[in-house]
Amino acid sequence: MIELFEVTKRFGAETAVDGISLRVESGELCALVGTSGCGKSTTLRMINRLIEHDGGEIHLDGRPVREFDEQALRRRIGYAIQSTGLFPHWTVARNIGLVPRLLKWPATRVRARVEELMALLGLPLEQFADKYPHQLSGGQAQRVGVARALAADPDILLMDEPFGALDPITRESLQAELRDLQARLNKTIVFVTHDMDEALALADRLVVMRAGRIVQQGTPLSLLRDPADDFVASLLGGEDRGLKEAAITPVSERMQPLSPRLLPKARVHQSASLRQALSVMFREQADRLAVVDDEDMAVGELSLRRLVEGRRDE
Amino acid sequence: MTSEVPPDVGRLMRWRAPLVWLSLLMLLAAGMAWLTPLFHWVEPGARQVIYPHGDFLVLLGRHLLVVSVASLLAVLLGVGAAVLVTRPAGRDFLPLVAQFASMGQTFPPVAVLALAVPVLGFGTWPIIVALLLYGLLPIVRNTLAGLEGLEAGVMEAARGMGMSASQRLLQVELPLAAPVILAGIRTSVTVNIATAALGATVGASNLGAPIISGIVNGNTAYVLQGAVLIGLLALCVDSAFERLQRGLGHPGR
Ligand SMILES: Nc1ncnc2c1ncn2[C@@H]1O[C@H](COP(=O)(O)OP(=O)(O)OP(=O)(O)O)[C@@H](O)[C@H]1O
Ligand SMILES: [Mg+2]
Repeated sequence: MIELFEVTKRFGAETAVDGISLRVESGELCALVGTSGCGKSTTLRMINRLIEHDGGEIHLDGRPVREFDEQALRRRIGYAIQSTGLFPHWTVARNIGLVPRLLKWPATRVRARVEELMALLGLPLEQFADKYPHQLSGGQAQRVGVARALAADPDILLMDEPFGALDPITRESLQAELRDLQARLNKTIVFVTHDMDEALALADRLVVMRAGRIVQQGTPLSLLRDPADDFVASLLGGEDRGLKEAAITPVSERMQPLSPRLLPKARVHQSASLRQALSVMFREQADRLAVVDDEDMAVGELSLRRLVEGRRDE
Repeated sequence: MTSEVPPDVGRLMRWRAPLVWLSLLMLLAAGMAWLTPLFHWVEPGARQVIYPHGDFLVLLGRHLLVVSVASLLAVLLGVGAAVLVTRPAGRDFLPLVAQFASMGQTFPPVAVLALAVPVLGFGTWPIIVALLLYGLLPIVRNTLAGLEGLEAGVMEAARGMGMSASQRLLQVELPLAAPVILAGIRTSVTVNIATAALGATVGASNLGAPIISGIVNGNTAYVLQGAVLIGLLALCVDSAFERLQRGLGHPGR
């Protein structure tokens, strides 16, 4: 659990972070969003003390971070950044094994862990272990960066635009991996991103910052439905907010049991989003869809009316 | 039977250029007398055409010793100072050190010699001090450039992963800056091999002695002998450094 109480950071005359309070529960993924320069990275770096806060308190599992030994604190917090920061003179395997080695794990355990992580992040050992960072594509390098952050199995992970500058397909697969990781390994993650779709898709808690302050925080749905002001509304997509909400609501939440009526030809998978269902309707010019499972068996149906208005009876 | 070169031979092959220069240098230093006819032709009027006041091998050895001691001190001091002023605690001294190092280079070595002799007396020490001062700039400048030029993301990651200051310096900063630092040392040493000849003017006997004596006595053959040996020594050391720099170029670069 990470708690920030009235945390402030000044750089000279400029206040980069201005009295923010935030609580990230264990196992929660918290996304920080906001326009450039609003203090997201500064907030993140104060948690692992790359930057020392000037005011307020930051607690990790109830203990002030200042009480921890700086090095020890960082070794138990995973850290991944957009530029990856991989060491160019070390191989992929050596880069990933950095923190375990700093923690003086025996060599065999480090090696086993590196192999495990490379498999987890889809980096075949034979192909990548001995490569140097400059021999990797941007996406591969970011995977290695994430693997390195996860290496010592930290329960807290700080990620500063870890998937920035990636093509949408690689990005989505890394997002899926991260969601999967978090679900399986129950990590507490603080995640900075400029990609609102990414934030909405990944976050349990969405924190909107502006000029060093938190403007609003809550679940993605609550923010989409009830933005505190025009700034939050426009940051979340303005008039696109409806579609963004549709994008994070699965079809299974709105589908209805099969009716005796004839099953429509147009179909959508039950784990698809409402946005995708809408797209299928639009493309197929249908106002009813069959909802199918993995075996392509119909498990329910979804009407346009239900899709649009289903929230009323929630 | 394989046609592959055994690793030892392969390694030797890569050191070919410095080895060629080294053998030429040793050959000439040991057998300058064989070239007596050539030097008679260069300096037909002279009775003595081979520098007589000292074995060339000994002069070469002394030359090398002076340059080595001065360079070693310059590396220790230069790299040490540059490392210190790039640490948080020493930041304030960065401009001072950079300025001092560049002053060392603008100050003519002859002037340093002239100033050092009254303090240190005649002999080898004044020239070592002069070379040390003269050789500092390229080392300090390159070490500063190498350490300051590290990618910000790499340094942030090194801190963020929980590496201590000394771990960062030894495992990340110095290895990554090494090629730039080595280039500075290379410049410093090669320049100083030539500059060391000045030591002969204050009584240090090295390869500069034949040159100075040749100038004083109007004997071009002496000058030539000193100059050729210094040139060969510089080539030998320079090509060895080049080899070293390439060996340092890890595949990650
Ligand atoms: N080391 C520093 N020294 C001085 N000012 C800084 C420093 N780091 C950040 N700032 C300032 O603090 C403010 C917040 O910076 P921060 O990096 O936290 O923004 P950000 O929200 O991460 O922005 P971006 O989305 O562009 O990464 C900025 O105005 C920035 O100029
Ligand atoms: Mg940032």
